[in-house]
This record gives sequence, structure tokens and C-alpha cells, in this order.
Amino acid sequence: MTTVPVPSAALTVGRQGNYAGAISRLAAFAADVGASWGLYTLGVALLNAALKLVSGHSFTLSNHQLPAFIVLTLWEFLYFTYQWAVSGKTLGMAILGLQVVTRQGAPISGRQAVFRTVGLGLTLLTAGIGFVGIVYQRERRALNDFIAGTAVVYDWDARAARLRWIARKEGPPGTPPPQEHRV
Amino acid sequence: MSPNPIGSRVEQLAQSLAEHIVPMIVDAIDIDSIIDKVDVEKIIERVDVDKIVERVDVDEIVERVDVQKIIARVDIQQIVERIDINAIVNQIDIDSLVEQTELGSIIARSTTGILTEVLDVIRAQGVGLDDFILRWGNRLIGRGKKIRSWPKGPPLLVAPKTVASS
Repeated sequence: MTTVPVPSAALTVGRQGNYAGAISRLAAFAADVGASWGLYTLGVALLNAALKLVSGHSFTLSNHQLPAFIVLTLWEFLYFTYQWAVSGKTLGMAILGLQVVTRQGAPISGRQAVFRTVGLGLTLLTAGIGFVGIVYQRERRALNDFIAGTAVVYDWDARAARLRWIARKEGPPGTPPPQEHRV
Repeated sequence: MSPNPIGSRVEQLAQSLAEHIVPMIVDAIDIDSIIDKVDVEKIIERVDVDKIVERVDVDEIVERVDVQKIIARVDIQQIVERIDINAIVNQIDIDSLVEQTELGSIIARSTTGILTEVLDVIRAQGVGLDDFILRWGNRLIGRGKKIRSWPKGPPLLVAPKTVASS
């Protein structure tokens, strides 16, 4: 049993479907950058090993900067577009319990996924200014959301999470219940 | 009919007289005024209801009732459709239910893993920080109160009542 405090209901129950905020989205993006970079590095290592096995020569992609940049860009495009098109969420978003939806709240199309990925690249080029809308826009939409006609919402089953917390609160016999947590 | 012809005629005469006179008498009687004169309360007081009930064999009546036939007539589907299950569920205090019953430990045992626990914590902390950044970010530019009127989520995902008008 754990001693993790129970968050207030305001932070959990009823948040499903609400617009997601800056920190959750930033954390999800960081997780995605880590995951995509890790997979890219693994892929390059496997490719090197395969080429060495076949030709006997070692091939290092990082020694060829332009091809490496093109491959990495294509890989990142594929990583984000494919996941958004299939489920509306990337690996990082799944961890943080977020989902990309249309402005009305419906699942996004493949076309929107492509626009959103291209928009993400453009938003990154604005050195962060394109993300300001997540805090200051009424639908918490960044530049890439405007380009693709999308929004990001909380998707995790917060009600079930709260029940799990309350269930854990019982703890082992003799354990005092943890206090409510407020941020 | 009487075998005596005179008797038979008298009988016919009496019958025809009765057919004419009886309706006249009945019309002449004011039934409402008679009923008004009857003291119903007094009659009821005189009736010994307990004695009547004692005479009734309830067991026999119950035995005669074909319960299966009554159940067969009931349209359960229609009854179920009429019940507003959402309203009933909304009235249940799930938190106290989980706290007071063994349901809590069942949920904990069946769904709690280290990963789930970590995810729950990360997500809840994230939501709290999101609120904090939104609140203070807008307060800094003097829009702290305005954000209260912002929609909670997209119209298809958030019930209209929780979407505040801007």
C-alpha cells in the first residue's frame, strides 16, 4: 500500500474532456521527444549493425549530417503524424492522459494529423511564441492547433483514478489516512 | 298462466296496471332526498369491520391469485426504460461507497500497479500545475476573472451546462 495523498476532486473527477493546460502538454511533448529520439538512435544502431553484417563496413549516419537531418525530420514527421492519425495521441500524450481532438471534440482525421505535425514544426520555429495560446487563448490552442483545426483535451479516466486513490487510502491496518492534497 | 279464464284476465289486468303504475311511482320518488336523509356515518359506525375481516380467508384469496400470470403481464422493459438510471447513479456518493465498503480494497487489488499509481500521480500533478499556470499567467496580464467564463472543453465532450457563456 502507498502513502500517496489523495488529490482533491477538482483536480481529478470531471476533468475528462476539458482543455489540457501547458504543463501537461509540455511534459507530453518532452516525453515524445525522448521516445522518438530513443527510437531513432536504436534504429540507426540496428541499421549500422545490419550494414556491418552484410558489407563488413561500418556506416555512421551522424557522419553524414544532411542525410541524417533529412532522415531524422522524416522520422519525427512519421512518429507524430502516424500516432495522431491512428489514435489522436502520441506515446507521451498517452502517458500524460491527453488527446488531440477537433475543435468540436470529435476524433481528428489523417489530414488534420499531417497539418498538425507540419504546424508543430512551424510552431517550434517561432521560438515558443506559437505556444503562448495554450495559456492565453480561450480554447488553449497553440499555433499548430490553429493550423490543423484541433484542440487538446484531458483523456484520462480521472474518476477511476480517484477511486483507486480512495481505495489505497485504507492502507495497511493501523496506517493513518493521508491528507487531501492541494496544489 | 292460470287455467281459469277469469283468473287469467284478472292476472293480465293486474299486470298491465302494474306496468303503468310502477314507473309512475318510481318517477314520483325523489331518491336524492331519501339519500340525503340517510345517515351514512351512523350505518358505517354500526358495521363491525373487524368481524367482516375475520370472516375473510386471506390465505384462500392469495392462493387463488396467479402471481405468475400477473408477472407475465408486466412489461419489465417498459418499466426499466422509464427509470432514470443516470439520476439514481448521480445521487450515489461513490467516494463514501468505496470508503465504507470492501469495494475499495477490491478496486485497489484489481487495478493498482506501480505504473498505474505513478501515472495517476503524474497526471493529477500535471492538472494542478496546468490550472496554476493558466490562473497566474492570465492574472499577470489582468485577465484573472475573464478565464472563469472560458469554455471547459469542446462542445461534444463537455456538457452544455458546464460551458459558461462568454
